[in-house]
Amino acid sequence: MRAILLIARREYLSYVGTWGFWLSLLAVPVFAAIGAGVPALIEGSQPVRYFAVIDETGRGLDEMIREAQNAARREAVRERLEMMARGAGGDAAAEAALEAFDADPDGLSGLPGAAAAAGLDGAQDALASGARSHMVSAPGATLDDLRPYLTGEATVTTPEGERPLFAVFVLRPHETRTVGIDYLSANLTSTGLRSEITGYVRDYLRRDALAARGLSPDEAGALLTLSPEVTTLDARPGAAADAEVTAADRAPFVIAVVMAFVLWMAVFSVANMLLTSLIEEKGGKIIEVLLSTARFQDILIGKLAGVAAVSFTLFAVWGLVGAGITVFAAGALAGIDPRLLDILAAIADPGLLLAALVFFIAGYLMFGAIFLALGSLCDTLQDAQTLMGPVIWMLILPLLFLFFSLEASDSLFVRAASWVPLWTPFLMMARLPSEPPLWELLGSGALMIITTVLVLWGAAIVFRQGALRQADADTFKRWFRFGRKG
Amino acid sequence: MTEYALEVEGLTKSFGGRPAVSNVSFRAARGEITGFLGPNGAGKTTTLRMALGVITPDSGTARLFGQAPDAAGMDRVGFLPEERGVYRKMTAEAVIVFFARLKGVPAGEARKRARTYLERFGLADAARKKIKELSKGMAQKVQIIAAIVHEPDFIILDEPFSGLDPVNQALLEQVIRDQAAAGRTVLFSTHVMEHAERLCDRIILMARGEKVFDGTVEEALSRVPRQILLGAPSGSDLEAVLGGMGALERLGEEEGSVLWRLSLAPGADAQGVLRALVDAGVRLTRFEPRRAHLHDAFVALVGEDAARPEPVEA
Repeated sequence: MRAILLIARREYLSYVGTWGFWLSLLAVPVFAAIGAGVPALIEGSQPVRYFAVIDETGRGLDEMIREAQNAARREAVRERLEMMARGAGGDAAAEAALEAFDADPDGLSGLPGAAAAAGLDGAQDALASGARSHMVSAPGATLDDLRPYLTGEATVTTPEGERPLFAVFVLRPHETRTVGIDYLSANLTSTGLRSEITGYVRDYLRRDALAARGLSPDEAGALLTLSPEVTTLDARPGAAADAEVTAADRAPFVIAVVMAFVLWMAVFSVANMLLTSLIEEKGGKIIEVLLSTARFQDILIGKLAGVAAVSFTLFAVWGLVGAGITVFAAGALAGIDPRLLDILAAIADPGLLLAALVFFIAGYLMFGAIFLALGSLCDTLQDAQTLMGPVIWMLILPLLFLFFSLEASDSLFVRAASWVPLWTPFLMMARLPSEPPLWELLGSGALMIITTVLVLWGAAIVFRQGALRQADADTFKRWFRFGRKG
Repeated sequence: MTEYALEVEGLTKSFGGRPAVSNVSFRAARGEITGFLGPNGAGKTTTLRMALGVITPDSGTARLFGQAPDAAGMDRVGFLPEERGVYRKMTAEAVIVFFARLKGVPAGEARKRARTYLERFGLADAARKKIKELSKGMAQKVQIIAAIVHEPDFIILDEPFSGLDPVNQALLEQVIRDQAAAGRTVLFSTHVMEHAERLCDRIILMARGEKVFDGTVEEALSRVPRQILLGAPSGSDLEAVLGGMGALERLGEEEGSVLWRLSLAPGADAQGVLRALVDAGVRLTRFEPRRAHLHDAFVALVGEDAARPEPVEA
């Protein structure tokens, strides 16, 4: 026991004392923040897209599009104002801000008053920003005239100065569909603006058709918004008969898959730590010195425990930081949308966290022991890479299944795969919220534990042979050659 | 309490059907320095590993302090393996403390001893330096300290002199003598016979996995015929003069003289040889009675072929 603790302690301190450890500690929150902010960053950094409309229909569709865009922009500003006002001053502030904003029912002239009412005087620009497209007058009438403006050879005058056109919409009469749209752009992949403008024209045509049948604009508007109301009820055992499925109910399914991914990454990176550490010890001829002072099992367990402690330290720090941020942000989130609190509570489910811990330990022990055993056969990382191929594939396959498990965690394939002991920690983790049958949980769990014990036992044997240089990477290769001949 | 720190009986081990050690038996008496000698590949390291329970013998037994090797027994052993290294990113003191604690020395005492030993080995200034900042010789001294810092009853050193420069080899010889003077048992393996000759109370000679000799240095040397190097002008009929006094072997020529080696027959001595040559009027250019060395004894015991190191497999 003394040897195990000392070896684990040395292993732990050797990692904690490195720059790599501290970089890993910081990297996850930093990259998580970057990852979470990437969509907003991409959206925020997207330049305003200037477009022109040539209306050959004589229906005033260009003006309709301008008004529809302004109305949509006003609605977006209104929603942003409501959220920020609620966050800053609660329901009363939000109500006062909206009242002031709606003083101008068509434009944004109510925004300064609304911002003042909510105590958001400095946030006017932020509230009004966000227009990602802007309609300008068409600089030409034919395709040939417009092409240079689309390719950047010529520019149009915009509120930001001279800019090229992103797109041109040519609206022309159509025999059967009333209006046809020719969309011209040098950008072949972005479809957002095309969909937006097409949507405005579609709504206009439908309203127009309904008006032609004698319906008032309000009646036409009501018809256009017709859609069935879908209520998703929770039919799982224990749920109330009329219990509606909320985002908080769905959160555990997503979180379980996310946790399985995190588990996978943790097992992979920690097992790699073990491998490189052992190869360094073997290359530096330290392992033989250790073997003369401690038993094989003690070295194996000590190293596994030391590196496990490193990963638990990482998890603990990330967990504490996450919990701290959650507690700190809970008040603000409750102000913005009380449902967010329910989602947070669902994420912090002790059952899921406990299962993640158990699966991490089992996965780590299995893959860590395999990596240690293979590492003991190698003197260099190049040697190790030749042996690692099959093990890496065993690790990558469950990653592929995890993608499917979010949509179909009950598929026969995912269920069968979760019985493969080396995959159980990841796939069963992802399946947990869908409440798999108890016999499956117990059976695959037992198989996983038996496999863990067998892997540890086998790893100790290989480790012993490898550490004393009685076997090496070539021995392994000879086995396979022998197998092929046989 | 047994009078032997180590007793091995009939140890045998094969790897992949190839015998590495065959039926080796010996004892290391308490308080003695025992040399475990033989060329590379003679089976020394495998025997030591079996003796310490690191690998299991195919047959035979090993007893440490009268018992099968166990954790308690191993704590009383200081082992410096042939394949050795230390953590390059740890400081010299931290390495020594780590291995001392593995052997059960309390943390505070381990630090105290580490400093004492580092000072004794002339490494006081290197205590806080990382191993990677030390020279190879300094790092090897740290390894030796790590093997003996827990002040074990029995010290086993596998090829401890390899890699050390002559100054540090002399220092290590002194350390071994000091440890023995402090009442500890020392067993060290080497393929350099001179160290054993200077240090050992007793030697065990190994060749091709088998023990070929077990006794004192004097007993080993007594197996070698004493020799005399002779130089005489060509044309001198030494064979006629020295007939019956030993075997003559012509070695070559040197500055107009012919060089000979005479291996004395039992009962003959250098005085008698000199007298016979002078009486015969031989003009000697060289007369050097040669002291036999352990290497000669080894060659005499196993032959030139077995005394050579085992070829390393590609």
